[in-house]
Amino acid sequence: MASALEQFVNNVRTLSAQGNFRELCDVISKSTDVLMKNGQHLDNVLETLDLQQHSLGILAVLCVKFSLPSPSGARNPDAYKPLFNQVQEFILGCNGEQVRFAPETYAELCHLLTQSLIDLHVPIRGIELLHRAIRKIQLFDSQLTSIHADFCQLCLLSKCFKPALEFLDTDITGISQEGGQFDSKYFLLYYYYGGMIYTALKNYDRALYFFEVCVTTPAMAVSHIMLEAYKKYILVSLILPGKVLIVPKYASQVVNRFIKPLSQAYQDLITAYWTNSCDEVQLVITKYQEVFVRDHNMGLVKQVLSYLYKKNIQRLTKTFLTLSLSDVASRVQLPGPADAEKYILNMIEDGEIFATINQKDGMVVFHDDPEKYNSPRMLAKLEKEMAACAELDKRVLEMEEEVIVTPQYVRKACGQNDQDDQTTGSPSTIAPNAQGQPKHNTYSM
Amino acid sequence: MVLNEVGKLVLELEKAELEAPGGVASAQAYAQLLAVYLYQNDLCNAKYLWKRIPANIKSKSTELGRIWVVGQRMWQRDWPAVHTALNAEWSEHIFSIMNALKDSVRERAMSLISEAYSSLGLTGLAAMTGLSLEQARQAAVEKGWGIDGMTVQPCKLDKEQCQTQASLTEDQLYKLTQFVSFLEN
Amino acid sequence: MPLPIQVMLFQQNAVEPMQVDAPTEDNDNTEEEPYIVENPTLDLEVYANSYNGLAKLYRLIYIADHCPMLRLEALKMAITYVMTTYNVSLYQILHKKLLQTVGTPGLPDIAAQSTSQDIPTIDQMWVETRSKKAALKLEKFDTDLKNYKSNSIKESIRRGHDDLGDHYLDCGDLSNALKCYSRARDYCTSGKHVVNMCLNVIKVSVYLQNWSHVLCYVSKAESTPDFPDVHGKDNNQSIITKLQVAAGLAKLATKRYKMAAKHFLQASLDHCDCPELLSPGNIALYGGLCALATFDRHELQKQVIFSSSFKLFLELEPQLRDIIFKFYESKYASCLKLLDEIKDNILLDMYIAPHVNLLYTQIRNRALIQYFSPYLSADMRRMATAFNRTVSALEDELMQLILDGQIQARIDSHNKILYAKDVDQRSTTFEKSISVGKEYQRRTRMLILRAAMLKHQIHVKSPQRDNTQGGEMSVAPGNSSLAPRN
Repeated sequence: MASALEQFVNNVRTLSAQGNFRELCDVISKSTDVLMKNGQHLDNVLETLDLQQHSLGILAVLCVKFSLPSPSGARNPDAYKPLFNQVQEFILGCNGEQVRFAPETYAELCHLLTQSLIDLHVPIRGIELLHRAIRKIQLFDSQLTSIHADFCQLCLLSKCFKPALEFLDTDITGISQEGGQFDSKYFLLYYYYGGMIYTALKNYDRALYFFEVCVTTPAMAVSHIMLEAYKKYILVSLILPGKVLIVPKYASQVVNRFIKPLSQAYQDLITAYWTNSCDEVQLVITKYQEVFVRDHNMGLVKQVLSYLYKKNIQRLTKTFLTLSLSDVASRVQLPGPADAEKYILNMIEDGEIFATINQKDGMVVFHDDPEKYNSPRMLAKLEKEMAACAELDKRVLEMEEEVIVTPQYVRKACGQNDQDDQTTGSPSTIAPNAQGQPKHNTYSM
Repeated sequence: MVLNEVGKLVLELEKAELEAPGGVASAQAYAQLLAVYLYQNDLCNAKYLWKRIPANIKSKSTELGRIWVVGQRMWQRDWPAVHTALNAEWSEHIFSIMNALKDSVRERAMSLISEAYSSLGLTGLAAMTGLSLEQARQAAVEKGWGIDGMTVQPCKLDKEQCQTQASLTEDQLYKLTQFVSFLEN
Repeated sequence: MPLPIQVMLFQQNAVEPMQVDAPTEDNDNTEEEPYIVENPTLDLEVYANSYNGLAKLYRLIYIADHCPMLRLEALKMAITYVMTTYNVSLYQILHKKLLQTVGTPGLPDIAAQSTSQDIPTIDQMWVETRSKKAALKLEKFDTDLKNYKSNSIKESIRRGHDDLGDHYLDCGDLSNALKCYSRARDYCTSGKHVVNMCLNVIKVSVYLQNWSHVLCYVSKAESTPDFPDVHGKDNNQSIITKLQVAAGLAKLATKRYKMAAKHFLQASLDHCDCPELLSPGNIALYGGLCALATFDRHELQKQVIFSSSFKLFLELEPQLRDIIFKFYESKYASCLKLLDEIKDNILLDMYIAPHVNLLYTQIRNRALIQYFSPYLSADMRRMATAFNRTVSALEDELMQLILDGQIQARIDSHNKILYAKDVDQRSTTFEKSISVGKEYQRRTRMLILRAAMLKHQIHVKSPQRDNTQGGEMSVAPGNSSLAPRN
């Protein structure tokens, strides 16, 4: 037995020294059994390997260590401490270039780490580490890895959201190639968790974007992640002012055919919401209370109601120049003038409406948006927005150019599509640059 | 307290929390971070910080609880209650932040009032700013607001005033060129 | 749907509208008016005489169901008429209704008086002989049809189907009638036959209120290859009118009022002969109201007021004509008043009654919009009198219109003044461009992401193909519990 282990160590050392990492990956993937059987000797193995030179070997050993039963048999953070420290040391010190030969194992290690941190109820301890781990493996800042989902999950569980924003605020432009294919599970989870984090921080605009990505992911089957994301997508879209909920056309058929019927309570909520009647919405909430609570969406549902009050007040500002506080209260179905005053006051502070309250005669005067679009501040803002648009446009053009020069596209465009059609059309070919398809779909958005 | 100094403090405290052994920081660090979040009016993060502070630390430090009471009141936007909650003795390490918070809350209340009211009762003004009637009257006079018996007539602040006039700099000319060239291509 | 309350109203107001109607009563052959004039019997008869077949029966039953004052009269008339048909089941139903009516105490006096005269009692003999006769006839048509079929003469078979269909219709068996008429389709040898078949199907479908079917066959008839010249010119006009009217009914019933108006406006009075569907007066009423509710000023002028053909229809309904002209002359108060006066009448019309409130609201809204259009500011108190509403009710109406973007204005609720809103074009343009820019950024970001997604073939696979999916299924709900909420 020990000889097999020695064999493994030798392989790692020689192949690493030769720089033959591809072959090393193959060897390692075949050695899992050996490592599993020699669980008690793995620490010795680690000692013989060098962090920088033999990163791939260490990675494999660490992965196996997670699947072994806990050393002392106890499931508590202290028992795992040595292992955590080893992983930490590895992530901080490993050779990025080398590890990229086995991104799926690297991601696997992070998934395992995440899972055990969650099991041990100490998610916050992984935040900093996974942050480093992602940065290490990424080729560029806006590349999505499957570790992103783990990272967001840890942030959510530890209720510590700020670190996640660094990633979430960066729009993804590329996806890392992990073992041939990126698992849609991690993709959906990243956008689902991301949406939840934004929702928690009341950045509803961004949250909607994240849930929308999740909902519009191509699908042949109903994913529960997508279903939950769809529910939250509805709720957030109701909270955001002026957003009409239309699931984009390019969303998969699955959404309309299966997911919609599975979320009847939410559909009813939409219907009630569009009557603009808080009472109606309250009725639906009472009716489906159990469903909302079971889905853990009750808080968000309550937000929807409170935003409906606000929305109704905003509607008033569009129709009235002056209105008494008691009229405001009765029109938006608030209990009394004092509640109306409080709502209005809060909305003024948040810049959601422009109004002046006259406490003396109990009237409110509504104003137009005082923004005249003539200040240097506004100019700067406009310039920023225009620059962002120009930048995105440039990016799309670049992508188009990239597509245009692919041999496949050229061949197709020139009409020699007979054999090519078959290759791009069949799902079995995982052509690394099958850009003919993206192009087509890109423009159908 | 200067704003960017606060920003730096937040970063330090957040980092300390993440790097704390066992994922749990000291009560003092939590208290500071919570207070600073409140000062920044970052109620969401304050709320979740409060939620993630381990129960045993909460029970040991009553001050932590009192800071959160302020946060809760701010969350509910119950102005008078915020002032009541703030009017307490704070220990040394958060004393200056809480004091700054007190001032900033009052400042926010005053500017909101000038924005939102064309007239309101002096008692209302006093309650929202946490001042006594006499102090409130004084504050209103200082702002140049009209007082008629028990009613105050706040004036709107002219925001545009305080802006500096930016001239057409080369930088802007450059941006304009960029924009035009974008349009034409 | 007219509510019982409205029927009650009708009873109370029965005398009042008549007085106003009196001066305009220069045109005696108006069908809608009679039944609110002094002697309901006479008028009901005139009304009923504009229809035949099931249309007559259905309309009478509708009136009987919705107007206690005319119930007895209507039922009696219906029974007399039904006895000329083979519709035995309807005969029995009508008698049941009659029995209920007579049995109900507290009837209006007029009804009570006529009760003593002659209440027809159910004639079991008639029922039996009639049923027998119907069965015999059916058998005869059936054997005929079989014979034709064995001889396979197309034209005879078609006729046989039609005859059978006619008979079923006469018996009130609509679904079988529809079947027979539709079967004739396979034996049509000319465009004329096809159109005829369509008309039959349309008729039955109207009775069945199967509106999509109606529309379908209208377009089928219109697209018959040699449709324009299959029947003589006059005959052709009358078919066009029939089709337009049927399409109008269907559009009306499905609440597409503007389309309905357009169809009705194409009817021609001289060729209007479809008592089995509706009367010319109905066309005027349906078309006029729908046009008022949905046309803008220009369309109203061009297509209704200056329409030489529709003018003739409007002559049949002088009150409606006045309403349309008053509206066009911006005399909204009298226009709306007149509308209210005819409201009770039209609530007894089975096809338009369900839409009266909606159409009226739309007409009011159009009036409000036109009223305010020339003003910069308007006193809502005066506006309220002009529209015969309380100020607060008007405020609600205006609020809705403003929210819908139909009136560009703001309400000063304190002083009760409506101010036209001057829109700052510059600001709105800025506002709009910023939001468009934001939307563009959002879309483009998503596009870039989507391109990456497709490039990496990310999609949710079916569970059976990929077992990892099972894990995924359970992940989401489990973790959503961790979502921090407030």
